[in-house]
Amino acid sequence: MRQLILIPICFLALGLPVVVLASGAQGGFDAVVSSIESRYHVHAERIPLLGLISFFAARKQTSGVSGIHVAEIENLQGDVDGEELNTLVQQRLGQGWERVIRETSRGGSQTLIFMHPEGKKMGMFVLDLDGQEMNVVQMSVDPSHLSENIGKYEHHRDTEGETGN
Amino acid sequence: MMNRLSVFILGLAAFAVSAPAQNGLPLPSPVEKELAARASNVTEVTLGKNMLGFAAKFMNGKDQDEAATQRLIQGLDGIYVREYEFDKEGQYSMEDMQKLRSSFQTSEWTTIVREREKNGVTTEVMMKMVNGEPHGLFVLDAEPKELSIVLILGPIKMEDLHKLSGIGGLGVLDDIDTDGGKDKAKDKSKDKSKNGGDE
Repeated sequence: MRQLILIPICFLALGLPVVVLASGAQGGFDAVVSSIESRYHVHAERIPLLGLISFFAARKQTSGVSGIHVAEIENLQGDVDGEELNTLVQQRLGQGWERVIRETSRGGSQTLIFMHPEGKKMGMFVLDLDGQEMNVVQMSVDPSHLSENIGKYEHHRDTEGETGN
Repeated sequence: MMNRLSVFILGLAAFAVSAPAQNGLPLPSPVEKELAARASNVTEVTLGKNMLGFAAKFMNGKDQDEAATQRLIQGLDGIYVREYEFDKEGQYSMEDMQKLRSSFQTSEWTTIVREREKNGVTTEVMMKMVNGEPHGLFVLDAEPKELSIVLILGPIKMEDLHKLSGIGGLGVLDDIDTDGGKDKAKDKSKDKSKNGGDE
């Protein structure tokens, strides 16, 4: 009888983490934007098929940035509770995302930057709230490509400096 | 046998649920929330072990400077920065500063620098020593209208520390005299009394 009781308990114990982890996996850009839309009763302007466009663009160029998603929200009514917004984003982004930077000001402005390692790339999520306007961007960055490009520009700047002297 | 198996499964389940919440960095203390409420601008930088490990992978190991930075951040458990900017002076007290440093007043942590300048700028540097090696650094930098906290956890090479000053909020590391590491770490106490903000 005791063993019969333990079986459903173990089943539940194994099922609970699966449900918790799966709910996190359903997060991401769309989940965050949808939650913001419903919480603040606003409509986000998105660029259709931007993710697909950036995927093909990334194959043609070597900027190291792909998977771009952008949403712009205007006319946010009333004050936005910074702590609540931060929690909402953290919860809806899902598992694996870490908040790296948070900048807040008394005026209500807030910038949040989350990162998430995606194999050789780094997922980056940026939310910028300024007054009644909010911009949400998510992209996938290849750090090795980026550092190469930054290196090129630095080299170019150094060369310009030398010739200028 | 069945009981042991059940305990194992329950333990595994509890670990799976709680593991994602752990990032090796301390949770914000209540005083940090109070300071944030009083500040006009707050900047928080939190780099966990995962992020630091990932960043280290993309550093150029051929360049001598970058290789040193790579070695330094690879072993770190986390970097935690908080910067509070205030509209006017007197927005934080000696008590607030004491609360901030209280977590580090244990036998493992030693104050290596305590400096108070006439213009109200106070700098305190505390170091965590494990088996004679530096394994943590806490910097509390107070200006009349600004308060900064830097916490670095993990094995630290003092001679490479200034290389982290390029990371947002870690500029204060440039001011720390790291020459000579732990052996030459000196107490620059100019005022041994409790140093506080402007009151």
